Amino acid sequence: MAQLSLRGIKKRFRDTEVLHGIDLEIGDREFVVFVGPSGCGKSTLLRLIAGLDPISEGEFVLNGHRMNDVAPSRRGIAMVFQSYALYPHMDVYENMAFGARLMGLDKPEVERRIAEAAQMLRLEALLKRKPRELSGGQRQRVAIGRALVRKPDVFLLDEPLSNLDAALRSEVRLEIAKLHREIGGTMIYVTHDQVEAMTLADKIVVMNNGRIEQVGSPRELYETPANTFVATFIGSPRMALVDVTREGERLVLANGGSILVGDLPGPKNMKLGLRPDTVHLVRGASVEGFAGRVEYTEYLGDNAYVYVRLADGKLLSARTAPNDLYAPDEAVTVTVAPGAAHYFSAEDGRRLTP
Amino acid sequence: MPQFRMTGRGLWITALIVPPLCFVALFIVYPIISAFAYAFFDWQGLKRLDFVGLENFHTVLFVEPYRSWTLNAFKNNIIVFFALMVLQNGLGFILAYALWRELPGARFHRIAVFLPVVLSTIIVAYLFKLFYHPLFGVVNISLKSIGLGEWAQPWLGQSGTALWSIIAAQAWHMVGFPTLVFLAGMQRIPSEILDAVRMETESEWVKITKIVWPLVAPSATIVFTLLFVGAFNWFELPYIMGGLDGSPFGSTDVLGLYFYRTAFGNVSAGQQDFGLGSALAVLIFIFIAAIAAVITTRLRAREIQL
Repeated sequence: MAQLSLRGIKKRFRDTEVLHGIDLEIGDREFVVFVGPSGCGKSTLLRLIAGLDPISEGEFVLNGHRMNDVAPSRRGIAMVFQSYALYPHMDVYENMAFGARLMGLDKPEVERRIAEAAQMLRLEALLKRKPRELSGGQRQRVAIGRALVRKPDVFLLDEPLSNLDAALRSEVRLEIAKLHREIGGTMIYVTHDQVEAMTLADKIVVMNNGRIEQVGSPRELYETPANTFVATFIGSPRMALVDVTREGERLVLANGGSILVGDLPGPKNMKLGLRPDTVHLVRGASVEGFAGRVEYTEYLGDNAYVYVRLADGKLLSARTAPNDLYAPDEAVTVTVAPGAAHYFSAEDGRRLTP
Repeated sequence: MPQFRMTGRGLWITALIVPPLCFVALFIVYPIISAFAYAFFDWQGLKRLDFVGLENFHTVLFVEPYRSWTLNAFKNNIIVFFALMVLQNGLGFILAYALWRELPGARFHRIAVFLPVVLSTIIVAYLFKLFYHPLFGVVNISLKSIGLGEWAQPWLGQSGTALWSIIAAQAWHMVGFPTLVFLAGMQRIPSEILDAVRMETESEWVKITKIVWPLVAPSATIVFTLLFVGAFNWFELPYIMGGLDGSPFGSTDVLGLYFYRTAFGNVSAGQQDFGLGSALAVLIFIFIAAIAAVITTRLRAREIQL
């Protein structure tokens, strides 16, 4: 059982406030991913939960107990570090046994837990190796194993895949997802990679500048982003934001055409959010749609992305069939199905519900 | 056939290496070899007499009074080594840990701890001689002022306390050196490893013994080896504070003093004996080289790459 509550968490380093009041509830067995650009405070928040740095203001409650002043080792939390942080002078077995012994477990129990973790992580053959004799992926598994044998209520993972190469990364990602299903603990995972966030999370927490921008399932974040930050952060290639003006039943791009949206409430000026898969390209100029010129094309095999410079200078990407090739500088018209677009306030970037 | 051609880079390296090699050969290798040679001859002043084989070695090791003198000085060196191991290296490790953990005032103390190391040994020796002065010394006056007057004593004037008093001065003088080496070793430990330990225990004792100590092994090798060599070559402090005879009654005599006295003579006994002196020097050299080699290889084995 693990129920975490973060209430008004603030963190200051001397005079600089880096977390400005975080409120978050995390339920038992949830896989929560903190995602955001570098410096958004996601790792800092993880360290506060771990207890490695003191909380400046606010309250962290785990299973009904206030944790602010509890030592990291007594919180029932284990952490997997970005650099794995294995003890270089101990072999794999010792690395995993160290924490378990300090918990006061007796020898057979320690051995049983290590055997179990080693089997789950395919480490049996490596138990007598020192960390420097392991590959990156193996070290990663030992770091996870070290957390597993302590049977914590909460697992914290700080960018665990960032030191692995691309092929290994997707493999370990699947293993972590599988592991979560098998052991069923609460996991908090920090990453700046939105693909990791989307594929692993039950719940994504998008952070920016020390604040939470939105909390929700991957589908919620993708389909109903709360603001332009979340909208552009989730999804690749990123959503294009186009400044448009409402004139009657049309949304007009300055000198660049318009689209028919029907009767739309809301302010006169707004930002139109267009994902690559919701726009269509028509060759040449057309009455219906935004005018633009092809900048370049990315061919990906199963499909292609065409980058179009709109009349107002914004770059927009559109997904097309791989055989649908456009020449650079070719004039195109971008059409949009009104229901597929996202609408945001031009002033503060909040989502407008049409 | 490989061709050996002098490239510009090779020329540079040669130019940089040859002068120090000459220096080492002239002032270190040559004296060692000549000391080996001298030890096998009988000497009268600076005049070499007959070849005597191992006679000189036999004399310093087995003939009285040399035998007692040798054993006494050697025993004192051993005391100095173990005492400094605790007072200098042990304290240095603890100080380094405190500085590394950034306890309040760490910035100031980092400098304060190292400052005595840069002082000249002569200054430290005279300073502590004044501190230990039976009547005016700060040690006795302090003891009296806090009501421990019966502990006041002539520290350097009695056999029981003289050597330990000099050892204390040495530890104060040089404790900054192991501190600095250990501190550098600790600062090489990645911070995530320390975070990982903190996730598993809050016991400083476990952190020190199981993580920090094994990970500063390279520093320990350096510090132990240098202390060993330093302790058995110890000369300046006992010479200035105890005198060339290791007074009182040889209680501060060490191999360095004893060798110097034997080879070059002293005020009270004007005779000098290069043969016996060289034999002593050779024995000291072989002993230090052998043990230092063992220490280094043994300790190297437990070092690990971070």
